Amino acid sequence: MSTRAASLLRKLVPWGALLPMALVVLVGYLGTALWTLRVSLSSSRTFPNDDFVGLAQYERLFDNERWLLSLQNLAVYGVLFIVACIAIGFLLAVFIDQKVRCEGLLRTIFLYPYAMSFVATGLVWQWVLNPGDGLQQAVRQMGFESFTFDWIVDQDKVIYTVVIASVWQASGLVMALMLAGLRGVDEEIWKAARLDGIPPWRVYLSIVLPMMGSTVATVFVLLFTGVVKVFDAVVSMTQGGPGTASDVPAKFIMDHLFGRANLSLASAGSMVLLAMVLAVVALLAPVLYARSRRGSVGGHA
Amino acid sequence: MKRALLLRCVAALLAGATSVLAWAQAPVPKPDLAKAEIIHWWTSGGESAAVKTLADAYRAAGGQWVDMAVALGEQARAVAINRIVGGNPPTAAQFNTSKQFLDIVDQGMLNAMDEVAQRDGWDKFLPETVLNVVKVKGHYYAVPVSIHMPTWIWYSKAAFKQAGIAAEPKNMDELFAALDKLKAAGLVPLAHGGQSWQDNTVFTMVLTNLGGREMYLKVLRDRDRNVILSDAFKNVLLTFKRLQGYVDKGSPGRNWNDATAMLITGKAGVQVMGDWAKGEFTQAGQVAGREYGCIAGFGPAAPYIIQGDVFVFPKTKNASAIKSQQLLASVITAPATQVAFAVRKGSIPIRTDVDTSKLDACAQQGVAIMKDKSRHLGNGEIYLSPDQNGALADILTAYWNRNIPVEKVQKDIAAALR
Amino acid sequence: MSAVLSPPAAPPVRPAAARKRSKRLNPGRVGLYAFLLVAALFFAAPLYIMLVTSFKGMDEIRLGHLFALPQHFTTDAWHAAWSEVCTGVSCEGVRVGFWNSVAIVVPSTVLPILVGALNGYALSFWKPRGANLLFAVLMAGAFIPVQVLIYPLVKATAALGLFSSLPGIVLIHLIFSMPVMTLLFRNYYASIPQELFKAARVDGGGFWRIFVQLMLPMSTPMLIVAAIMQVTGVWNDYVLGLVFAGSEHLPMTVQLNNVINTTTGERLYNVNMAATILTSLVPLLVYFVSGRWFVRGIAAGAVKG
Repeated sequence: MSTRAASLLRKLVPWGALLPMALVVLVGYLGTALWTLRVSLSSSRTFPNDDFVGLAQYERLFDNERWLLSLQNLAVYGVLFIVACIAIGFLLAVFIDQKVRCEGLLRTIFLYPYAMSFVATGLVWQWVLNPGDGLQQAVRQMGFESFTFDWIVDQDKVIYTVVIASVWQASGLVMALMLAGLRGVDEEIWKAARLDGIPPWRVYLSIVLPMMGSTVATVFVLLFTGVVKVFDAVVSMTQGGPGTASDVPAKFIMDHLFGRANLSLASAGSMVLLAMVLAVVALLAPVLYARSRRGSVGGHA
Repeated sequence: MKRALLLRCVAALLAGATSVLAWAQAPVPKPDLAKAEIIHWWTSGGESAAVKTLADAYRAAGGQWVDMAVALGEQARAVAINRIVGGNPPTAAQFNTSKQFLDIVDQGMLNAMDEVAQRDGWDKFLPETVLNVVKVKGHYYAVPVSIHMPTWIWYSKAAFKQAGIAAEPKNMDELFAALDKLKAAGLVPLAHGGQSWQDNTVFTMVLTNLGGREMYLKVLRDRDRNVILSDAFKNVLLTFKRLQGYVDKGSPGRNWNDATAMLITGKAGVQVMGDWAKGEFTQAGQVAGREYGCIAGFGPAAPYIIQGDVFVFPKTKNASAIKSQQLLASVITAPATQVAFAVRKGSIPIRTDVDTSKLDACAQQGVAIMKDKSRHLGNGEIYLSPDQNGALADILTAYWNRNIPVEKVQKDIAAALR
Repeated sequence: MSAVLSPPAAPPVRPAAARKRSKRLNPGRVGLYAFLLVAALFFAAPLYIMLVTSFKGMDEIRLGHLFALPQHFTTDAWHAAWSEVCTGVSCEGVRVGFWNSVAIVVPSTVLPILVGALNGYALSFWKPRGANLLFAVLMAGAFIPVQVLIYPLVKATAALGLFSSLPGIVLIHLIFSMPVMTLLFRNYYASIPQELFKAARVDGGGFWRIFVQLMLPMSTPMLIVAAIMQVTGVWNDYVLGLVFAGSEHLPMTVQLNNVINTTTGERLYNVNMAATILTSLVPLLVYFVSGRWFVRGIAAGAVKG
């Protein structure tokens, strides 16, 4: 085989390996996303309809108080959830990295929430946060008569309870990812830092964390996808309530897809959600890209 | 080079094996006579016992029941529809007595049971409200399985005794008086689970008992804008909101079972819930008329709300599958099956010409009321499309939980039901 | 062949014993343990409630004393959850779907991880033209709620003859986990120095050779994390298994959901809790067993010029 043909073949090999991914993207995602877009421009009920109603569904969507509230909730939930998970996950990873006793046990305690179906654990959180039978009652019985913790029945604060339960569920995974990243940091860095007399916490914050850029980027994207699709937590804890106070876009979409047999409205909702995600990503991409590049450059002295 | 070659061979083998497996797994049409796969959402203990009576009756008639239970109605219906679309339909699928299956009828995806309906005389014993749902464009596309009543008023006798309430309330005013007495006695007057559909249930109770049959039909069936914006309807909404003042603080999000538990333990007095609540009472060893009471409605002409379950039959040309479907449809409507099912389910039979001696006291009350045709009234989902019903539920649950001027609520409802 | 292509023989792990052990109980150490204790309590509290509830009878549960230990300790709920509770006409508990779940999870973990690692490797080191665009679209797809995509995928799998089958559900899991798996490995490989890769190519390594002999062995921590995520995700998956696996291959989660969820039926909370814990034992086992691989570091530190 001539060298030119051989080198061409070699160039094609990576593409060949990526063929499954390409297929999945084109058919599984691009194809279905385009289909969803088409349906959102029709008046489909249970089944896709061939007609064309322009942007009517989108108008109806943004006329809907419940949808607007769900977007608001998503923003609040998203910011709090991501920040809390990364902070707590990082702290847990760092602390566990300190050669503590029972590291295995601690790691399992922090990870097990992720293993459990939220359908049941969400209910437990609902019980715990219920003012009548849960934490508030228990603390009051211990003597603190005026202790109040009724966020879950408060219209404005209920979304925070969903954040608490979700952080409980996801921080363990963030910890695991951070730990994997931490343990990939070169031993030389530690030796050098110790020689220079830099306190450990300083090392973590100013040296190690920046080096884990790609890990943080991965964690952020994972958490972000979780935020956009949050559904189980809301359904099992509050059913979107009280009223519709803790509604989130995924629940709105699901309700209209199944219960209300309104395929086109649900599709419109999905498209809007996707558009907002793309907007956020477009804004953050330079930051994320820089971090992951720095991760590969700075990692190895 | 050798290893790369090896890898390529393995990959090819895997691909080949997968495609062979895929071909072997392709759905095969079911060949057995009278074998029926049924998708339904009856999964808990009491419900399971009930659906077993259907399975037993079907087996006794020579059929074979293959169970495919999927929890939660929405999920089960979604699976049924996806299976039909994917070319692997079940023999029968459960839906509610509602407009849920109209779209699949329109798509021509269901078999009609006209033969069975003519032979067994469905027109004679089915209540008109139910008949109008299963008969679409002159063909019988669904077989009714059960009738539930969602707005029974349950009360705990122990709680009533503690609050000094001597007699059952006979109208809305007496109900409020009783609730006040319960509040004064330190009990939770109205046990309620703050979920959207439960709020909707309470509203339906108020609309039925305070608004009356005329207003109910004008609002939910005719979607008459003038009636929705009228003062009489405003009064219904205000009374609905007034009931919210009698629930405890922990009510939002609570499961209906937990609210019933409050009645069972005597912590609360009243609950507005469907006749399936009897299952919880029975689990706790309580008996209707002894530890708890049931009120179907206020007054001798109070409407009886009809909601229920039906089975539909996905289209198939397979002759033995069609036979199975017809056998199933026939078995389900038989009087003996109906009674056996109702006893376990807490519902009432779809026909009144049955022996009601085995039913509990509340169910017997229900069947007696059903004999009076003028008291039949369909649940919201019988008149409204799923989308409209859902939009109405959103407005009502928002009103229940927040301070919204009632005029705005009226306007919103008029817009949603347009 | 050069030593670069074979993973360094003795990677300088950060062996636990070699690090200086500060056994002194200084304030820093106390604070550390205090924080970990509080965190552990917060994380363990719901599990405590679930366990305690699962050992009570329904009468006690109705009284609503959430944190109280059972007055009448009983294991009936566990028996019931495993083999007696009703999930439809059949009342055989959640054990029914156990082997189905295993049959689904094993291929749905191995395949996506391999494909994800391959994708990440190709994207990170070989960077073929346009691949990054493809990756961006793939990631965008990860944000669409799964249920919205079910209808078109039902039609697609039906067209392929894979609807309601085991290969079908594995394919679906492959599709839906590809974004995350690719992301994990792409970012992981991004932190491995390019020099290593370049040196391997100079040594004459080809695409597959470098992948199998160098990159995969170095990816152990990420393989473990990916396995944790994938096993958990697929084991706990409900909707996809329900729609695409066919009635002979329904996973355990279908029975679990039938136990826990009901519209108008009674709820046996003790059985629900027991059933949930039982179903989560497999992912938990994976977490526990994977523990020791968290200690090893990547071998990148070994290659110094």
